[in-house]
Amino acid sequence: MIYQFFQWLQSTDFMTFIRESGLEYPIIMSTHLACIAVFGGMIVITDLRLLGVALTERSIADVVNGLRWWKRIGFIIMICMGFMLFGSKATEYYPNPYFWAKMTALFLVLIHAIVFRPLVYNHPEELDKSPMIPTRAKVAGVLSLIIWTAVLCNGRLIGYWEPKQQQKAPATTAQVQ
Amino acid sequence: MLLLQINPISDALNSSEWVFPIAECFHIAAFAWSIGMIALVDFRMLGVGIQHSKPSQVARATAPWTLLGLAVVLLSGPVLFLSDPRMYLYNPSFRFKIGALVLAILFNYTIHRKVALSDTASPPVRVLVAIVSLVLWVSVVFGGLFIAFA
Repeated sequence: MIYQFFQWLQSTDFMTFIRESGLEYPIIMSTHLACIAVFGGMIVITDLRLLGVALTERSIADVVNGLRWWKRIGFIIMICMGFMLFGSKATEYYPNPYFWAKMTALFLVLIHAIVFRPLVYNHPEELDKSPMIPTRAKVAGVLSLIIWTAVLCNGRLIGYWEPKQQQKAPATTAQVQ
Repeated sequence: MLLLQINPISDALNSSEWVFPIAECFHIAAFAWSIGMIALVDFRMLGVGIQHSKPSQVARATAPWTLLGLAVVLLSGPVLFLSDPRMYLYNPSFRFKIGALVLAILFNYTIHRKVALSDTASPPVRVLVAIVSLVLWVSVVFGGLFIAFA
């Protein structure tokens, strides 16, 4: 079922165009990566602020409220680019364990948002009122750093994985000889 | 050049299939970290991002984190390079990337720093410096990725 969907997605005109293109594919990938650099730092600084280790002279509200929409814009660009990279080679991604690990980590990003938005991000002013940064804010910061690092590393490792048959090919040749 | 052809470091790096990918993960995470910090200053110079703060305040607060990220980038980068120095040296994207990187670092610690820390800089100058900074760093990332496609 999922595989059939991947096959269909990959065979659409748009995804075929990306796959067979020359410069478009690396440009999409570079944009994906550049977004990680430009917008990823916003996630990092928000987490470090929640942990109370960076930008402590600025209020949590200034950091969280100021970066909220920029993080969303960056996230949307990143998802669009990532979807094109995946969609153009969907059937190759299907057996790749790192692809599924990355998707799991992205699912955890969603869970993190559902849990910590009402507790932390929607009311940063309340965190500033507290004399010490509340534990729930620190937990949100640490988990965010861990989950995003998992997204990033698994994303990169997708490119290193090869199907088993191809890895075993030289060994088979050696046995024949 | 001869030294680069018989390179014991390359052999050591290529002896494990995990050294390169792990070094690359560190490289990517660290450039996201450091460029992200610089981008926060650039965004502030463009008048957006972290609220109620001057570019100088953001620049001072992020400077140690930027340096930390850059240190990891500049330590992990040579590990990647030394796995196959000849390939990199003759790769046009790599040459472009290193050129852009040198410019970006020089710019960051001279003009960018001066303008970011000066709260009296005129708005057009600030905007221009922020855009140049973003373009330079994004060029480094593009150049780095295109190594694999050149």
